[in-house]
Amino acid sequence: MTVVRVDESRGLALCEEADGTRATVEIALIESVAPHDTVLVHAGTALTRLEHAV
Amino acid sequence: MKFVDEFRDAELGRAVAMEIMSLVEPGRHYKLMEVCGGHTHSIYKYGIDDLLPANVELVHGPGCPVCVIPMGRVDDGIAIAHQKGVIFTCFGDMMRVPGSDGSLLDAKAAGADIRMVYSPLDALRIAKQNPDREVVFFAIGFETTAPSTALTLKRAQAEGVPNFSVMCSHVTIVPPLRALLESPDLRLDGFIGPGHVSTVVGARPFQFIPADYRKPVVIAGFEPLDILQAIEMILRQLADGRCEVENQYKRVVPFEGNLRALEVLAEVFELRPHFEWRGLGFISHSGLRLSEAYSDLDAEVRFSVPGVRVADPKACQCGEVLKGVIKPWECKVFGTACTPERPIGTCMVSSEGACAAYYNFGRFAREREVV
Repeated sequence: MTVVRVDESRGLALCEEADGTRATVEIALIESVAPHDTVLVHAGTALTRLEHAV
Repeated sequence: MKFVDEFRDAELGRAVAMEIMSLVEPGRHYKLMEVCGGHTHSIYKYGIDDLLPANVELVHGPGCPVCVIPMGRVDDGIAIAHQKGVIFTCFGDMMRVPGSDGSLLDAKAAGADIRMVYSPLDALRIAKQNPDREVVFFAIGFETTAPSTALTLKRAQAEGVPNFSVMCSHVTIVPPLRALLESPDLRLDGFIGPGHVSTVVGARPFQFIPADYRKPVVIAGFEPLDILQAIEMILRQLADGRCEVENQYKRVVPFEGNLRALEVLAEVFELRPHFEWRGLGFISHSGLRLSEAYSDLDAEVRFSVPGVRVADPKACQCGEVLKGVIKPWECKVFGTACTPERPIGTCMVSSEGACAAYYNFGRFAREREVV
């Protein structure tokens, strides 16, 4: 999913699927997420940021 | 789409398939297990086994989270869901898993307030919106899903949401793999390791497989080229006489895993002494429960549950499918009494289940030419 907006105070981000579907995602498990990052999300939690993992 | 399209290139796929052909010894039969249900789904969806030589056989493993939940746990969930004032929440697949007297979907039809959620965070939101109701989340899945439940429990505790609790049925991947490797009726040559579980646990937990059992493991992604390359890497290890853990999915899986996730798991959960797996029976230290610090959010403490072990229906052979002993189509009820619309066994419920994947994508092309 692509990060759209980050709410650091709540540890949450608004993320978007390729088809435009949006969901609130927990981001506590990865460091410094920013808009436009691509993250691997499982059950509503971001597990890794893909650009940095390549 | 970035990170996807480049791993679906048909020309590259055929080139890797040719590499695979060059690595196999004629007259030798290779049996490789794909551990994860996501791999099983991709293998059938993209017809990957049709690109392989006839003497390379893919065997489905126990890595489908829904498939391994025993009937007794479904009954426990339904018992909680029927209690007065309860809103019972779970992932969509779980609603269709049969218990001894119907599924959660049947219980919903009979009047229980059961709601499908996308994540445990959704269940917590429902709890906040319904402070006069008890909201229970039926947590299933391997180490991939468990961090999400753990973070939600931490959030519930920090925010003081007293009407939220979790029925924890999370499991861990290593104990069933060890059980399978100890099984006398299954001879395997190598493993396609679980990609997303490894995002959390890393590669290290799988090192016992080459160390103790002399079998190669290649952690793989879920696109067609990922899986083909993983098969090629396993066969290359076998051809070279090597056995080690390799990571094909480096774009996602760090060797050491996600340390923050592992810390959260260690804080919120502890291992159960035993946990029952569908088809595999009781496996020691293979299931998670809430740790003492979070026991006030444990639905099994808050509510009474039957906790009765229920045998699988005699006609259903999910156990043998989950152990890789038989193929989905070899089950007596596959595609007749058991279909995705009316499943008898769990493997026909989830899209990651071997039976459902085969029913949806592979059943029309079983016979293939010997290459």
